[in-house]
Amino acid sequence: MNLKHVWIVFKKEVKDIARDRKTILTNILVPIVLMPLLFYLLGGGIERMGKDITENITIALSVSSDTEEIRNLLKNDIFAGNPNIKLLEAVEDPEEAVRSERVRFVIDVDKDYAKKLEDGLPFSITVTYDQSNTKSSGSYRIILDSINEYNQKIVKERLKNLNIDINILEPTKVIQKNVAKEKTGGNMMLMMMLPMLVSILMAVGGIPAATDLVAGEKERGTLEPLLTTQSGRVSILLGKYLTVTAFSIVCVISQFIGVAIGFKISPNFLIIGGTGTNNGFNIPPLALLLIVIITITLGMFFSGIQLAISTYARSFKEAQTYLSFLMIIAMVPAYATMMLQPGDVRLYMFFIPLLNVIASLKMVLGNIINYTYLGIAFGTSIIYVVISLIFAASLFNKEKVLFRN
Amino acid sequence: MLEVKNLSKAFGNVIAVNNISFFVGKGKVFGLVGENGAGKTTTIRLLATMLKPTSGTAVLGGHDLVREPEKVRGIVGILFGGESGLYDRLTAAENIAYFGELNNMDKHTLKERIKQLTKIFEMEEYINRKTGSLSKGMKQKVAFARSIVHNPEIMLFDEPTSGLDVTAIRNVHEFIENCKNEGKTIIFSSHSMVEIEKLCDKIGIIHKGKLVDVGTVSELLEKHNENTLENVFVKLVGDKNES
Ligand SMILES: Nc1ncnc2c1ncn2[C@@H]1O[C@H](COP(=O)(O)OP(=O)(O)OP(=O)(O)O)[C@@H](O)[C@H]1O
Ligand SMILES: [Mg+2]
Repeated sequence: MNLKHVWIVFKKEVKDIARDRKTILTNILVPIVLMPLLFYLLGGGIERMGKDITENITIALSVSSDTEEIRNLLKNDIFAGNPNIKLLEAVEDPEEAVRSERVRFVIDVDKDYAKKLEDGLPFSITVTYDQSNTKSSGSYRIILDSINEYNQKIVKERLKNLNIDINILEPTKVIQKNVAKEKTGGNMMLMMMLPMLVSILMAVGGIPAATDLVAGEKERGTLEPLLTTQSGRVSILLGKYLTVTAFSIVCVISQFIGVAIGFKISPNFLIIGGTGTNNGFNIPPLALLLIVIITITLGMFFSGIQLAISTYARSFKEAQTYLSFLMIIAMVPAYATMMLQPGDVRLYMFFIPLLNVIASLKMVLGNIINYTYLGIAFGTSIIYVVISLIFAASLFNKEKVLFRN
Repeated sequence: MLEVKNLSKAFGNVIAVNNISFFVGKGKVFGLVGENGAGKTTTIRLLATMLKPTSGTAVLGGHDLVREPEKVRGIVGILFGGESGLYDRLTAAENIAYFGELNNMDKHTLKERIKQLTKIFEMEEYINRKTGSLSKGMKQKVAFARSIVHNPEIMLFDEPTSGLDVTAIRNVHEFIENCKNEGKTIIFSSHSMVEIEKLCDKIGIIHKGKLVDVGTVSELLEKHNENTLENVFVKLVGDKNES
């Protein structure tokens, strides 16, 4: 191996790819545009839906209970505390009105409620809603809360009239203490998505480059003259290998630029299920460094495998077919662990390629910093890189493979 | 100077090249003729160190093929037929420079050499254009220039005229003549008796991996008592096919 030759090959390949408009466009520029768009559409939709559920609640009385008195009860008493609940015109057919979303809830109140209230008897409020409708079922709690508040208010009044201390209603008082650090509370989505995204992107990012660099070169007839230069095969392979790795890293970075832009446009997308605040992690520098290295080694590991496959393939098409299988294989563990919680990470995961990156990322994003685990992931990653490189080099040196026709 | 000594290459059960020996002197052209699958490409790949011999060796310009493959690569230039094997997104100059750099030429020498080659092949107009946009004839010249950028003393041509039109074939012949006049040692494989006869000082007829006869055109005609090289070929190869 000759480092000068490695560098010459690397420089040439980078130049070559950088001039390939189609590859650059589909792998680097498209994600930068597509990601924000995805965020905007998905995030925007979710945000609008959330707003609609909490801020745009429409109710109506059924015609049968539509009296001045009952309207007053709803408007000025039960739902008075929530300005987002709007009382519309009474409806003929409650079920139809709810189903067709003309109104989110139809309320019926006992006609003689006032008398029952005075007598201390329960009166009924019927709420018609649609459980299968996200908005209707989402807003249902808000309606219930208002009714409960109203109940408590009445109870307190009654106790007061009987001269009883209202504290007897509250034998316990719940004090909330959340152990999740305030800052990370909102990173649920990020914790789920990031490890999956990073690992898949790292695993597949180099595929276009790897296909082109050996199978493509074989097909175009440029590989044979290249092999007759004074540069040894290992140097040629290493130059190509570094190019593929660099390409996969650039792809991941461009995806992240896309995500970052998307986050700016529609920050709510990533914090669904979280408590609100969403910026900043508390990752110590050493852990961060390890994570970055482990992630890059994943790219290197897959670059080696991709080059090996590209070497083995007889043609460009064949390489594409094999490599799309590789893509599927990489996606399985990534999707399978999507719901894995940082606390559920197990030791064995740190020994398995791809899983070790996912597990490390989950752990660190969940603010669990276990250097033993990270160290194992680091060590195994390096070993896998070496194995994949040796594998690729051995295929590249095999006449039977390289000159298969 | 090139000497092949008992060179053999087997791929599993297939013996692609079977114990061949021949000698080519400086400034001489050796023609390899044979049917499809005879072992021409394998022989040339062996001499270019792309394949490792199963047994035997060759000495190229004083370097042993098996023991000093890197040194051999440094003095060998190679040109294939069909596609010109250029990188479309690199300019003509970049294509040539890439091979010069990988053959350990220093920057200054390489720059001068590219200037010189540009002049020789009259590539001034397009030397800085990407080869993907060049005509076939232009690409061919770039490929010629690239194959001799490091000024190799031995040139290997594997069916360089296959699939080319008349003008392109003439260009190849001219290129080979020029290499010969510069004193390079040349091996040249072809299906075409006409061009073999025209260009070669010595001819080797290869059949099923074996070199069935070697000699100058007149030697072969005389020895086999035929009046055309084609007849000699058919006689040798046909005979062997029957046995
Ligand atoms: N990489 C390889 N693996 C296995 N067998 C091979 C390989 N390369 C060549 N062969 C076999 O070796 C024999 C000689 O092939 P070679 O390509 O040298 O012939 P050739 O004379 O160049 O033929 P053509 O005129 O068709 O180019 C053939 O039988 C071929 O199938
Ligand atoms: Mg051939």
